[in-house]
Amino acid sequence: MVAAGKETDDGTVPVTGWWQRKRTRERIVVACFLLPSLTIFFLYRVLPLAWNVLLSLQHWSPLKPARWAGLDHYEEMLLYDEVFWQALKNTLIFIAVSPLAIALALGIALLVNSNLKGAAIYRSIVFLSYPLMTVAVGIIWRWMYDERGGIINFALRESGLIAKPIPFLQSFDWALPSVIVAEIWQVLGFYMIIILTGLQSIPPHLYEAASIDGAPRWAQFGRITLPLLRPSLFLCAVIGILNSFTSFDLIYIMTNGGPGHATELLITYIYKSGFGQTKFDYAAALTVVQFVLLLALTYLANLVAGGNAGSLEPR
Amino acid sequence: MPRRRTFLRHANLIGICAVMLLPFYWVLKTAVTNENIYAYPPRLLPEAPHLFNFVDVWYFIPFPRYLLNSFIVSALVVAGNIAFNAMAGYALTKNFPAKRAFLLLFFSCMLIPFQATIIPAYLITSQLGLLNSYLGLAFPLLSTIVCIFVFKAAFEAVPQSLIDAARIDGLTEWHIILRVLLPLSKAALATNVVLAFIWSWNAFLWPLIITREPTMQTLPLGLARFLSYLEDTTGALYAFAVMVLAPSIFVFLMAQREFIRGLTSGATKG
Repeated sequence: MVAAGKETDDGTVPVTGWWQRKRTRERIVVACFLLPSLTIFFLYRVLPLAWNVLLSLQHWSPLKPARWAGLDHYEEMLLYDEVFWQALKNTLIFIAVSPLAIALALGIALLVNSNLKGAAIYRSIVFLSYPLMTVAVGIIWRWMYDERGGIINFALRESGLIAKPIPFLQSFDWALPSVIVAEIWQVLGFYMIIILTGLQSIPPHLYEAASIDGAPRWAQFGRITLPLLRPSLFLCAVIGILNSFTSFDLIYIMTNGGPGHATELLITYIYKSGFGQTKFDYAAALTVVQFVLLLALTYLANLVAGGNAGSLEPR
Repeated sequence: MPRRRTFLRHANLIGICAVMLLPFYWVLKTAVTNENIYAYPPRLLPEAPHLFNFVDVWYFIPFPRYLLNSFIVSALVVAGNIAFNAMAGYALTKNFPAKRAFLLLFFSCMLIPFQATIIPAYLITSQLGLLNSYLGLAFPLLSTIVCIFVFKAAFEAVPQSLIDAARIDGLTEWHIILRVLLPLSKAALATNVVLAFIWSWNAFLWPLIITREPTMQTLPLGLARFLSYLEDTTGALYAFAVMVLAPSIFVFLMAQREFIRGLTSGATKG
């Protein structure tokens, strides 16, 4: 990984023995220090990615020797598997709703980002739901949506909006929106924090100059705030995309993909195929499709945001 | 700012915060309620609040066992993150051949969500013989890229002359990290601890996959398992939820600044 210090120094100074030894030693240190992290990332990031592709092209199960399958799994998935298409649709709906959440977070961030008394407290409260265990969050929301003891049905009935309680999580129409609301509740604070960081990096003199020129507040928002917030908003969009591919915990606890497959996401379907039905090879093919989609959507979001606006690139 | 606008802002924010806090109130209220929680209409205030449900959780399910498992895994993850991330962060402050390639490798690893690796990760862990073990539970989380870069940035802020002086004094590289760099990077250290703890404490999918024995399960798994007995647990389930949420709320409130710094530096720097 690290070349021994045999080659001559880049500079014009003639190489001394001491210098060479020091450089060699330093490279060995670098290699040793990187090794643990690299091992972990190799075993749990890089290798799985490659293995997924390989598995998806094989007929494979734990106790039988592997057979070459070519594109059989992909053919089955794309042509015959209705659940796959349902899961894909739900995943895309999850993504499509995230701009709404980002807009909401932008509104809250604008409210909080001022010399308002107690702004820090409001910020903490909005952010509080983000670092919590999603399993517990799912249980809380299940309970909020409950047909009998849930506060949401209670509030709707008391205010006269509905006559009969709605079994939110058991209904084909309501299950997906209900889960999405819970998801937004949890991630909203994170969006807000990212947007706040962006807002605070906008130099205040821009607003001063605009005020002197007589630009009204809405024009300042449209001409200064929004354009300069683009990287932050793009980052939120990427996180929204990522979340729709990864929010396994919430779905598993709240509906387990049901009723039917009304709230099935690709990730829950991958879990069910792999560990429920031990179709590891098919689950690997699903993962490959999911990962390619994720990369494509991230790339697309990057294009929309105007080239390299995102900050996922190394700087 | 005009008074009316300030007032409107406060009113809006209080409304938003009430909505954000409502789930917390509802679960807390249910956890301390003794009555039939399915009765309609539900009471908005708990009638004769008590803590029996919490005692129930402690004794009727192996809660102490889940707690112990969660603590061991979290401790392993926190220790691993501090050691490995500090080492890697330090290595990345140096110049060496192919450094750009390594940086690119780290950044591209960040694009691979853990959820996209579960099938092979399970097979790899089973090959390593680590299914149903603490090390297996902790392994994928032992080092995190975001935190490596948090350390790298903190170490780069330490003056080079200080490091050179330490080296002339005969300190080994390991001691330079331990005695010079880490004491000067307390904020980065705190960020590492907080993020590693929260991530491992909340992890659900990975433990769900690799633990089959109840004795190795962590709190989120215990909670999910308890949920499947819902009909005869009721109030206790929500007491359980409150008990697992408490440590992360506590850690978050204690180290909010470090937590947010870690997340946003991860978000803006890579």
